[in-house]
Amino acid sequence: MRSITKRFPGTVALDGVDLDVDGGTIHGLLGENGAGKSTLLKILAGDYRATEGSIEIAGEPVEIDSPRAAREHGIGIVYQELSLLPNLTVAQNISLGFEPSRLGRIASGRVSELAERALDAIGVATVDPERQVAELSLAERQLVEIARVLTIQRPRVIVFDEPTTALNHHDVLRLFTIMSRLRDDGVGVIFVSHRYREVLEICDVSTVLRNGRVVGRVERGEASLGRLVELTLGQKGETVFARRWRADGGGEVVASARGLSIGSRIHGIDLELRRGEIVSLCGLLGMGQTEVARALIGDGRDIDGSITIRGVAGVPRSPRSAVRLGAGLIPEDRQAEGLFPDMSVRANISISSLRRIVLSPLVRIISWARERRLVGEVGERTGIAARALPRPVRTLSGGNQQKSLLARWLLRRCDLLICIEPTRGVDVGAKVEIYRRLEDLACGGAAVLIVSTDLPEVLGLSDRIVVLYRGTVTAELDPRVASEQELLLAMQGGVEGEISGLLEPEAVS
Amino acid sequence: MAVDVSGATAASHEAPLERARRAAEAFGTVAVAGLLLLSFGLTSSVFLEPANLRNILVQITVVGVAAIGETLVLLVGGLDLSVGANVLLGSVVAGDLVQRHGAPLWVGIAGGVLASTGIGLLNGVLTAVIGIEAILATLGTFLLAGGIAKIVLHSSWIVVDDPFFGNLVRTHVFWQLPVMVIVLFALYAVAAAVMRMTPFGRAVYAIGGNPRAARIAGLPAVRIRIVAFALAGAFAGVAGLLQIGQLGIVSSGNAAGLEFQAITAALIGGLSVSAGGVGRVERTLLGALIVGMIANYQTIRGIPPNYQQALLGGILLLAILTDRLFRGRS
Repeated sequence: MRSITKRFPGTVALDGVDLDVDGGTIHGLLGENGAGKSTLLKILAGDYRATEGSIEIAGEPVEIDSPRAAREHGIGIVYQELSLLPNLTVAQNISLGFEPSRLGRIASGRVSELAERALDAIGVATVDPERQVAELSLAERQLVEIARVLTIQRPRVIVFDEPTTALNHHDVLRLFTIMSRLRDDGVGVIFVSHRYREVLEICDVSTVLRNGRVVGRVERGEASLGRLVELTLGQKGETVFARRWRADGGGEVVASARGLSIGSRIHGIDLELRRGEIVSLCGLLGMGQTEVARALIGDGRDIDGSITIRGVAGVPRSPRSAVRLGAGLIPEDRQAEGLFPDMSVRANISISSLRRIVLSPLVRIISWARERRLVGEVGERTGIAARALPRPVRTLSGGNQQKSLLARWLLRRCDLLICIEPTRGVDVGAKVEIYRRLEDLACGGAAVLIVSTDLPEVLGLSDRIVVLYRGTVTAELDPRVASEQELLLAMQGGVEGEISGLLEPEAVS
Repeated sequence: MAVDVSGATAASHEAPLERARRAAEAFGTVAVAGLLLLSFGLTSSVFLEPANLRNILVQITVVGVAAIGETLVLLVGGLDLSVGANVLLGSVVAGDLVQRHGAPLWVGIAGGVLASTGIGLLNGVLTAVIGIEAILATLGTFLLAGGIAKIVLHSSWIVVDDPFFGNLVRTHVFWQLPVMVIVLFALYAVAAAVMRMTPFGRAVYAIGGNPRAARIAGLPAVRIRIVAFALAGAFAGVAGLLQIGQLGIVSSGNAAGLEFQAITAALIGGLSVSAGGVGRVERTLLGALIVGMIANYQTIRGIPPNYQQALLGGILLLAILTDRLFRGRS
């Protein structure tokens, strides 16, 4: 791809990006969220048209104006979010949209044959083409997805878009085998990943994007975790954080987890959250940090081990039981799980504290005066304009909506606030205000747990950073001394240079 | 303290559709009711006579009371198809106990309301606990309740002569309005107050508006849903008692199609089958009035009853289409 530029109204997503992928190599494509990886892939896949620039395959310029055109040019993409239809069989899925037909009817014999050949090509004998996709594990589904992509006539470029996020160690190795085999067949393989150890393990060369530009192309010999991390982050300006350090670590334990295991993601971790501290739980996407947060709030599955919240032991059975113990969650998707769009901002804030606004515990009639007064107070503390309070919450900006959720838990006077991506989709001004309020909350004696992928946020806000990698706590960093580079390195699984060990069997399984 | 006004300014530029929607929500139903009243009054000499208006109120009482329950269920994000059969069940059980078994009046009343509440409770458990879709679960209990009612009736009918029931229509309280109409208004007043002023009402709106968020906010979603369905059953039972008063006789055809009238009333009143958490209980009363006025006008003008059902279907579809137009935004 030659000097690809893609402009969206108001922003330049890609600015003269060159990407050279040789046949017979595995090419890493790296960069933070928003660096331009997805846009580049969408152009390659024919979903977007580039504003400027050209694409050449084997030296010939090609026009890719539709997904079908991409397919015809031998470009296949294995997406992170699987696109299989669960109620069809493996074979039907593999030939979906390109069913072999005879006299206008689908030739089911050929469909199975095609599927078997495709699965065979990637060395998968364990998936029966006649099984329904719904019955398959996530890893098996991914294999089917790959097989489906490989049914294209002459695969020349195959892209794997963050394929390992949902996979366990064993399945990652199987995927690497498939990628290596494709490379050996002369295909150019593009591997998009945030997991740099895997990139170092498998990629012959890597291209790093930052803010829509290529900032580095690193050959295998010269690549190291440190180098990739450095290229990804670049030199960043000073952060907006004016830190206020709270008393360290002396507070009473509000919540703790012992030997917490969740499905195949988390293997027996310990965690302690104390009054007055903000703790960040960090990890690459899919390392289980969200699951830990959800387990604490009583919204998890397949949980083993023990959780204690304010002295009460036992994994909370539902968010309701966790909320009654004094926990609260600000979810990553506030539209889906946080807000009641048609209800007023005021009602959205008071919904978890209805007990506090009734006339008396026996006369369960809402006192509008008391509601107005109490919500007014927390509204003022969170910086929500008083005149916004009677409006439907859906009419507010993202930042104000997020503040409403914060106000909800302030009113509830919760002791443990769990925030997943607390400032996603929030403007800068509101961001700073949310940080202040979280700090206030901690200063007021609550324990705050943050799950965030925004590294400056994590470093600027937390008192303690717990890093998860492959199911266990691998590091605990002190944000007073840790840098972004160190944090990202820790999230990649550890100290620079130590890249062996990935291909060894997992210690805990 | 810095006060962020960005949200507030953003909110003042509402999209025209949004504003139209809010206006329609606020005044649409009232305007339609007023328009109908006016045009029916101008085209018929008897329509606006006090006796006829009173008659309309009596005629909508049963549907109106059942529609309160339907409204609760719609608000919590469900749908209740069993209302009509449940009204019949309530009246059958009450009539059977009082008339055939000589039970005291209060036993009959309690029995009828309890039987209907039981069906409502079953609806709640099937949908909220087991997770069956409301439309299917209540289709099942619609047949169940209707079946039980018919078994108790023995393919016969019950003439109820206890004066309590007759007095519901005959005794006038004020403005020559019979007791049952007063009951109708009183129940709406109580329901409207409960929905506005109690934690239960708030929770119903929240759960209907966004069930996942309600769970995360720590609301007892399952319990509230069960209570909403059970209350719908109780209202159906009360409607059954009122129907005994209105007709003086319990027979298997009594409440046929009543569920659709109740749903139509609620939808005309601004409730939604596609999204819970929006609408007001008291508007359903307006919806019931509109349906009642149309039916009454048809009778006055001598339009055969056979046409009335088709017209009701047309109105129901129109209400659903309007709902889609305004709420199809997600």
